Amino acid sequence: MNMLKVETRTPREGVAVIVLGGEVDVYTSPRLKQEMVDLLNRGQVNLIVDLNGIEYLDSTGLGVLIGGLKRAREREGDLRLICDNMRILRIFEITGLTKIFDIDRNEDDALGKLKPA
Amino acid sequence: MSTSDSGVVVRLTIPGKPEFVGVARLAILGVASRMRFNYDEVEDIRLAVGEACTTAIERAQGANAVAHELHVRCLIDLSRLVVEVSDSMPIPAVTELPKTESILDERCLGGVLIRILMDDVENIEDPDTGGRGVRMTKYVASPVR
Repeated sequence: MNMLKVETRTPREGVAVIVLGGEVDVYTSPRLKQEMVDLLNRGQVNLIVDLNGIEYLDSTGLGVLIGGLKRAREREGDLRLICDNMRILRIFEITGLTKIFDIDRNEDDALGKLKPA
Repeated sequence: MSTSDSGVVVRLTIPGKPEFVGVARLAILGVASRMRFNYDEVEDIRLAVGEACTTAIERAQGANAVAHELHVRCLIDLSRLVVEVSDSMPIPAVTELPKTESILDERCLGGVLIRILMDDVENIEDPDTGGRGVRMTKYVASPVR
């Protein structure tokens, strides 16, 4: 079992990149939720969540990401995902969440598609 | 581990707490990896079992019944793996799968995933304990003859 690793960078004003590693499940997802809530409350309303280092993602992790997207949009921001891991992408595809989330292959693409602050 | 008329049975009991779901996932990974499933199928089974445990824990927490155990029972035979995840608490609908399947309702995502990832899924109930759970079956695509 690999615990969740969370690293956050702020490449520009109003934008935060959350780089995840390990497992996002019922035990670890509250930490991710708190990180996103804290960033949004500090005015980082555009979030990019990098899932490329994730080894496991379950429905509670998906729920946290959905909640983060809702909260970001309530603040007129956005949440984009970075993922080129086929196993993780498949979870989004089979749940239909590819229709909800914008998913990019790398950070440059995600940053380029965010609306200007 | 024990044997039944139709295969081998592996049982695991874990505390009904979030930090132990990973233990159940590791155990099922070991069981499924010994069968003729491919990598994606093993990962599907692992995720489904994790979701079943998570659903049980979240609903028990909702009923303020955190001090309980989850029972994972795996029936292994040449053609299929049957996994039951259940508890022994006679409280309503502890691990039953939700009937609604909206992808935007994060509370239902676990049930949606289980139904997609496994071949057969049904709710089960233990008449002796009143406990409830889910039985999930994954068939081996090309079983050994």
